[in-house]
Amino acid sequence: METSKAIKLKVNGKQLELLAAPNSTLLEILRNNGHVEVKCGCEKGDCGACAVILDGEAVDSCLTLAWIADGSEVQTVKGIGTEATPHPLQTAFIEEGSVQCGYCIPGIIVAAKVLLDENPDPTDSDIRVALSGNLCRCTGYTRIFSAIHKAAQVMREGAQKNG
Amino acid sequence: MVETVPTATNSPNVQLHQVGKPLIRTDAPNKAYGNTLYAGDLMMPGMLYAKVFRADRPSALIVKVDTARARALEGVRCVLTAWDLPDRLVVTDIPGQTGGKTKNTAQPILAKERVRFFNEPIALIAADSEEIAASARDLIEVEYAPFPGVFDRAEALTAGAPLVDGDANVVAAYKIRKGDTERGFEEADLVIENSFRTQVQEQAFLEPEAGLAWMDDKNVLNIKVSTQVVEHFRAIADALGIPHNRVHIEAMYVGGGFGGKEGLTIEMMLALLAYNTRKPVRLVLTREESFVNHGNRHPFTLHYRSGVKKDGRITAMEVRLIADSGAYSKLSPYVLLYATVGAPGPYKVDNLKVDSVVAATNNLSTCAFRGFGTMQACVAYEGQMDEIAKSLGLTPLEVRQKNFIHTGDKNATGQKIESAVWSEQCAIQALEALGERAKGNDVVKIGRGLACYQQSYGRIRWFKDSSEAWVGIEVDGTVIVRCAVTDIGAGQSSSLAQIAAEVLGVPMEKVVTYFGDCTLNPLAGTSSASRALYMTGNATKMAATKVRDNLLEWAGRHFQVPPDDLQLVEFRVTAISDPARSMPIDELARRCAADGVHRHHLAMFKAPTSEGLDPETGQGEVFPDFTYGAHACEVAVDTETGEVTVLKSVGAHDVGQSLNPQSVAGQIEGSALMGQGFALCEEIIQRNGVLVTPSFSEYLIPTSEDVPETKAIILESRSGLGPFGSKGMGEPAFAPVAASIANAVADAIGVRIFELPITSEKVINALARKASGQVKMH
Amino acid sequence: MLPRFELYQPTTLPEALGMLSETGGNVRPFAGGTNLIPDLRGGREQARKFVSLAGLDDLRFTRFANGRVEIGSLTTVSDLHRSHEVLRNAPALHASATAFAGHMVRCTATIAGNICYGSPSADLLPPLLSLDANVTLASAAGLRILPLSRFNLGYKQTALKPGEMMTQISWPQPARGTVQLFYKLGLRKGDAISVISAAVSLTLKQMVCTHARIALGSVAATVVRAERAEALLLGRELTEKLIGEAAELAADASAPIDDLRASKEYRLHTARVLVRRLLRQAAEGPGEAGSTRRSTEG
Repeated sequence: METSKAIKLKVNGKQLELLAAPNSTLLEILRNNGHVEVKCGCEKGDCGACAVILDGEAVDSCLTLAWIADGSEVQTVKGIGTEATPHPLQTAFIEEGSVQCGYCIPGIIVAAKVLLDENPDPTDSDIRVALSGNLCRCTGYTRIFSAIHKAAQVMREGAQKNG
Repeated sequence: MVETVPTATNSPNVQLHQVGKPLIRTDAPNKAYGNTLYAGDLMMPGMLYAKVFRADRPSALIVKVDTARARALEGVRCVLTAWDLPDRLVVTDIPGQTGGKTKNTAQPILAKERVRFFNEPIALIAADSEEIAASARDLIEVEYAPFPGVFDRAEALTAGAPLVDGDANVVAAYKIRKGDTERGFEEADLVIENSFRTQVQEQAFLEPEAGLAWMDDKNVLNIKVSTQVVEHFRAIADALGIPHNRVHIEAMYVGGGFGGKEGLTIEMMLALLAYNTRKPVRLVLTREESFVNHGNRHPFTLHYRSGVKKDGRITAMEVRLIADSGAYSKLSPYVLLYATVGAPGPYKVDNLKVDSVVAATNNLSTCAFRGFGTMQACVAYEGQMDEIAKSLGLTPLEVRQKNFIHTGDKNATGQKIESAVWSEQCAIQALEALGERAKGNDVVKIGRGLACYQQSYGRIRWFKDSSEAWVGIEVDGTVIVRCAVTDIGAGQSSSLAQIAAEVLGVPMEKVVTYFGDCTLNPLAGTSSASRALYMTGNATKMAATKVRDNLLEWAGRHFQVPPDDLQLVEFRVTAISDPARSMPIDELARRCAADGVHRHHLAMFKAPTSEGLDPETGQGEVFPDFTYGAHACEVAVDTETGEVTVLKSVGAHDVGQSLNPQSVAGQIEGSALMGQGFALCEEIIQRNGVLVTPSFSEYLIPTSEDVPETKAIILESRSGLGPFGSKGMGEPAFAPVAASIANAVADAIGVRIFELPITSEKVINALARKASGQVKMH
Repeated sequence: MLPRFELYQPTTLPEALGMLSETGGNVRPFAGGTNLIPDLRGGREQARKFVSLAGLDDLRFTRFANGRVEIGSLTTVSDLHRSHEVLRNAPALHASATAFAGHMVRCTATIAGNICYGSPSADLLPPLLSLDANVTLASAAGLRILPLSRFNLGYKQTALKPGEMMTQISWPQPARGTVQLFYKLGLRKGDAISVISAAVSLTLKQMVCTHARIALGSVAATVVRAERAEALLLGRELTEKLIGEAAELAADASAPIDDLRASKEYRLHTARVLVRRLLRQAAEGPGEAGSTRRSTEG
């Protein structure tokens, strides 16, 4: 019962089979298996740096046991967009000057993406609530809020174009 | 391109093509895509995992440290205590300096005979896995004997207080004696006296300290680490007893520093373990360890006595400052010096008396943190200005206008201010930007607060600060900048690319900055003291300008025009008088290379120096220059619960010249929220030296739900000493924020809270004191 | 890094109950884990055997039956926050779910986890107490139903027996016109452990109070009901004077301590203030959904 077992995770669209002990968190499993874009900030759910999308929900991976995530789909910032195909959020963050030290950004992009997937036209309050679990020490959030608004607008216009 | 130093003018006298534009920062895309690696993301085959064993009490004698069971655990490769390290292994030095040491900066790497602060490191462990290292740590046993500690800074200064380290608890003391304060107070129509207290603040950077160290095949110790200072290689080499040229530190992109990664954090621990095991060693601190591992903000008690005329002019000022150094000196003498020099604020005070002292206690370490003593003084002197205004029936702006220092005046230490002082313009613009006042009601009171400041940029002059940078142009017209500056999130490395791009006329995307490497890059000094742009930017500009000059000399001969008729813009060299004489820069570079033109240059920029302060009068030139500005905010105070909500927060600052206005605005906006945390909800709380706010659950920094409507206003006097007339911004933007919020709360409720943070409970208590008439009237 | 432990992963409720009763030693139910994981890491949790309830999807529901609202124990706080039914039927509970931690923790934390952790600062407890909620506890031996007021016994002590887990929380549908309000006071606006929280449920018929519930969090070892204050209001018209007296009685029902976040005097003061404020607001009539901690209105 204490021993490790193989768990299945689909991470950014790629099926992985990973060895995990019962006391492994999803954060540890991801970081030890090629996904260091998921950051560790506090290991107790206070800062959101480790946020990932787990079966469509934003969760703190430090508070998720690997065994409980077995069979789930995980999306990290790298699955949300890349240099070749950036997500409008990433483009907006870059253009609006929303990135300073960058350490909070992977978790914030995760939380923002879940928000925009559910709510294509969020209010300021919606954005604050969506980011309520993400600490940022450098930016003061102002440009993060404006980048999310900008990305939302780009996505709405894109959706209109595509009918 | 001709530059003259402008004097307080709005019209540009240089034409800038890329500097001053919100170009995309070089580091932003990879950070947004999750590609950027931080120090904790690094792994090497055969890597060991390190843990630190720490004292469980703030003050004790160490009788015995038993590591036998830890060493015997399978998978443990190394356990080090102070007894394993020769006595020369002490941490010292001013970060980043070229060898100047001051007294009292020694600190044991690992505690030997005494524990002087809570969680002081006692042993280091390296093992095959993190789990084994943690288990080994739990097997270490320490026998302690009681030793009295002192946790109150005033008490530490009394005779008979337990001695923390050395033969006195006074770590440093300064005085300023300028003019005649006795006469100044006699001339005053009114004397106002108040005491202020500011608390310990934690930097709370999102990335905890992390690093990887290993010995390579050249017998060089390599350390890749999250740090603000790569010059620590010297202290590490000395501690290990190896030559300086065999320690190679590379700073990764840093996930936030704010001064907390300016001192040695984990570099020495990594070095010792890697050196002793000859294997790669990884150390990543938990958040709880981070809180106790680096020095936090010095708490201050600030006593201010101001003599004023009825019209608001200050005739005399007497200041007493007491700060807490924690157990070891670290940078306390300098934090105190900054607070001392900054004590009167951006005001002309001809009769000034300042006495300051920083005391050792058994509290957690204090060290560098954005503002570095100056911002604590700002809370006090700006609170005092508002109290003066209130007593005299003047507005906060009026009383300041009566007293602002101006260009050409001498500051507290008799240093003549040469650059623009736009405090008034900044204050007016900040207040205007608050717009229409919110409406309160019987319960919710609205208040507005203003604060101005004077914050130095560039280091203390007698450190004889310098910075080097190398710039070269390749034959395809791309540019390389090499500079050991550390990039801690404010765009330090991107700025250098932008400067080189501006000078050489190549688009910023064609410039790569190699940074943070103490061996392969020219040394640039620390990313601290708001000096990075000033020092490394100037060095880069000097180097790029020499390359430019060499290229234009060749082009001048080629096009048969004088070199100063040529410009490098938009990837072309072109004669201004005859645009037909033009070629693309890659062609220029290629042809220069073929002709043996020197396409690179290494430049050193030196800051102005001085030899120190007069120990009796405190007079002398301390800093290269100062930044001036203002912060204004509007708050709503619920007078039944005491809750304070910041509604609007505006920073207006003269930055001289912005390199990237988005980055400048980012500093102002980030400072606004960090200052708000200092004003309202952040406090490191210790009970008899034991930390009771050990994580982000107890230590509260502002969240997305706490953000007010925030605005950044950038003024540009072009009078700074930095490249293109810029001034340092990292700390100036932060300096006045908490003071403006404290002033706004006082405005809202009609009574001042003198002790930060302003919790809702303190508001209720202040209102109760006011209601019962206990508030001191002047 | 977490200490080593055993994790059992049942897929049905009977399987889970079997594991809880048959596994020897200190075995605990593990729901969202948002308190258990930090406690394990920090050495505050001694159990080393856990039964994960994550596979029990049947326990995540919101339904109405027999005049009662029934919430499955594994309903997440985010589920509560997103539920229109909860917003309509239990606006104070909805407000507490909105004020709860940060977004990611809300998506993982469960209603049962919040109740069973037994902290007096649990955000959901004051509204649930003000709703006269019952909890259903299941074990291999069967079911039992307890009023929530008899479930939290002391600081982090509950009536949950070894082998038991919570399966459901329910309460009677409030009478038409009942106003339910909640306020959380923390040291910052976002994601904070409450200094004090208050929930009020009030039914008025022609200005006369026919039902009153006042619950306070973070003012004693458990969340408290201010029963004497409630009794004072029953059958009477809510004047400013009566509201003030009720607020006084509510403060008397508290036994706050000095801690890191606030002193007991401040908690007594704000208990009075919040109860008065919420009663006044409730007396102004239904139509306002539960307030949140961001209110700056008097």
